[in-house]
Amino acid sequence: MNALLSRRSLFKVAGVAGAAAVLPLTGCGSRAGVGTDGVTTLRFMQNKPEVVAYFNQVIKDFEARNPDVRVVQDYNEGNFVPSLVRNDPPDVMTRGFAKETADFVHKGIFADLTGLPAASAIDPKAQELVNSWGRYGQDETSAVPFSLAAAGVIYNRDIFAAHNVAVPETWDEFVAACGTFKAAGIAPIYGTHKDSWTLRQGAFDYVTGGTLDVAGFFSRIYAKGAKISQDAPESFTNNFGPALPQILQLAAFAQPGAETKNYADGNAAFAKGQAAMYLQGPWALSPIIQANKDIKLGTFPLPATNNPADTKVRVNVDMVLSIARHTPRREAAERFLSYLLTPEVVNSYNQKHAAFSPLKAAPAVVDPQISGVAAHMAEGRYYQGAGTYFPPSVPMNNYIQSLVYSKDSGRFLADVDAEWRRVAERTAI
Amino acid sequence: MTATISTGSPRGSGPSASTRPSAGSSRGSRPSAGSAGSPGKIRRSSREGYKVNWGLTVLMLLASLTIIVPLYFTVAMALKSADQIGTGTGLGWPNPMHWENLAEAFVATNFPAHFLSTALVTVFSVLGSLATSSLAAYAIARNWNRKFFRGSFVYLLSAMFIPFPVIILPLIKQTALLGLDNPAGVVFLHVLGGISFNTLLYIAFVRAIPAELEESARMDGATTWQVFRKIILPLLAPMNATVGIFAFLGSWNDFLLPQMMIADPALQTLPVVQMLFQGEFNTDYSLAFASYLMAMAPTLVVYILSQRWVLSGVMRGAVK
Repeated sequence: MNALLSRRSLFKVAGVAGAAAVLPLTGCGSRAGVGTDGVTTLRFMQNKPEVVAYFNQVIKDFEARNPDVRVVQDYNEGNFVPSLVRNDPPDVMTRGFAKETADFVHKGIFADLTGLPAASAIDPKAQELVNSWGRYGQDETSAVPFSLAAAGVIYNRDIFAAHNVAVPETWDEFVAACGTFKAAGIAPIYGTHKDSWTLRQGAFDYVTGGTLDVAGFFSRIYAKGAKISQDAPESFTNNFGPALPQILQLAAFAQPGAETKNYADGNAAFAKGQAAMYLQGPWALSPIIQANKDIKLGTFPLPATNNPADTKVRVNVDMVLSIARHTPRREAAERFLSYLLTPEVVNSYNQKHAAFSPLKAAPAVVDPQISGVAAHMAEGRYYQGAGTYFPPSVPMNNYIQSLVYSKDSGRFLADVDAEWRRVAERTAI
Repeated sequence: MTATISTGSPRGSGPSASTRPSAGSSRGSRPSAGSAGSPGKIRRSSREGYKVNWGLTVLMLLASLTIIVPLYFTVAMALKSADQIGTGTGLGWPNPMHWENLAEAFVATNFPAHFLSTALVTVFSVLGSLATSSLAAYAIARNWNRKFFRGSFVYLLSAMFIPFPVIILPLIKQTALLGLDNPAGVVFLHVLGGISFNTLLYIAFVRAIPAELEESARMDGATTWQVFRKIILPLLAPMNATVGIFAFLGSWNDFLLPQMMIADPALQTLPVVQMLFQGEFNTDYSLAFASYLMAMAPTLVVYILSQRWVLSGVMRGAVK
């Protein structure tokens, strides 16, 4: 009797606890889908936590015009791969576009947006930045660009004016400008070599992008696969070799002690006017402004040769829009994506975040901080940084950092060629 | 989950080594502090040779800095504005203080909803860990002479040798198939993940409880469940505190498992939601720290309230 009672009470306790644990959680966790009230719920995964508020407003506007769709924003991008494993990816997503997203494209994760009317407003040159990574099924459009970031040389307009230095248009002018600043006791460039990615993003990508055809080089070396060797015409040694002295020269213009400074130090120091130039993209503008509201900044593309017509700007496909291939809510997803591609949304986003709109009919960029690269962007004189083409298993940042520290070009080229071949053998890239 | 275990065990032995002297000195200081009113007793205690161990005290003061300094930074950063963060050494106290950071972080993270989710996950993880591990440990310890139970002990222990990152993707697949890609699944995996280490702790403790206690209860007609509920469980109290504390900290602070498992962003836990303040290039430090501070508050409160049990419990765990 006693035993029965206690056992029963145990079950009761366990049952109540279990129900309490599961009920409230599953109750609100009902799967996104067409609800009983006819409202479709879309999951929208967004890759930039800092612009959550902007997209919340966009979603609000969209929902007001489309009362039958509800959009849930998710900025936990770490959940993207798990969502694929669960076979339940977000319906609409934004991603930065480089090697990693290109791999997802090749695996057919995203829907084909070719026929979508809204996608026809995209500048074909901008679309080509995405398509050049390879398309699924030869001709599908898996992602459309939403925001392009143009990275060049950020410069302090006041320091330039005080020393009567004009924006350099050739490499020789650039070197001369650096000489002027150095003679005046000002660091020409603020180096943040402790954060190796800043060296890759800056000196390495700017010089290689400005002096050689990066996209063509990588398509050839990817095509060669594991058969690559150091003496092959496709190798790094034979293509990147000539650029290395210039990279080292550029890195040497940094202030003494750049090895001990990281990106955050760089932003703070540049805001205080401790250097004339800073090799960073537009993402560095807002922390600099935050630290010093009165600073006057501009951006120009690094002239890597002595022919101004060669000068190009490094472009980052910061955000692309995609739809999951097998979403059952395709129609609503397309409607939302089309809304995101309307000029008001695209252009106001890019204006607000010092980026460039990928639309054909983009308004002229007047923001003085980035207007220096606007002409190059409009004419399509841009390249994607060489550093973005490497698979993550090639620790390129570290190789570049050790190149800058040791100045041993031969060792760098041999290492990168060997590393590339190893990864190619392993993963069949 | 095994990751939380492997960090759990050094945590168990680390503080115990450093808390032992402090527990000793507080015991020594109690008579003198309690009898401050009567001068006679003070004289006696000094005659007995009660001495302050200055070396250890200084060492403990230095050790306490490892907690106080980061805590100071957290509070100071939480109250700074963006331009106050950029200037100075970072050590300075913000003037004026920006209390509105807390409110802003509260709104930006939708704090109440995610706090509730985190709290539910934590509460059920702790309760689940206590219930499953103590029952398993009792069964194994009292049936040690049977092969099946010895085997299950080895089986549980072997789980500690599997690194969590190796199994995370299969786990995500499985939990999704079972409809557990939500906080309930996180609770399940937290309990499961802690079970080997917690059972190990409990077994050592149950073995130290004399079997005669149970025999007398059985003579009075108690069933096995009653013996466990009325005799063993109360005796397990210090170990319950230890296991509960580890389960609480592991569950409250867990990032990886909720990040990858919880499909619905509305049910996400606080550590994951706080990523909101970290962009690819830039971090909003003041709001980030304000929200860390709010998320830390329950842990601090629990610690202050349960300090006594934390110390004694951790020491029990150390002597297996």
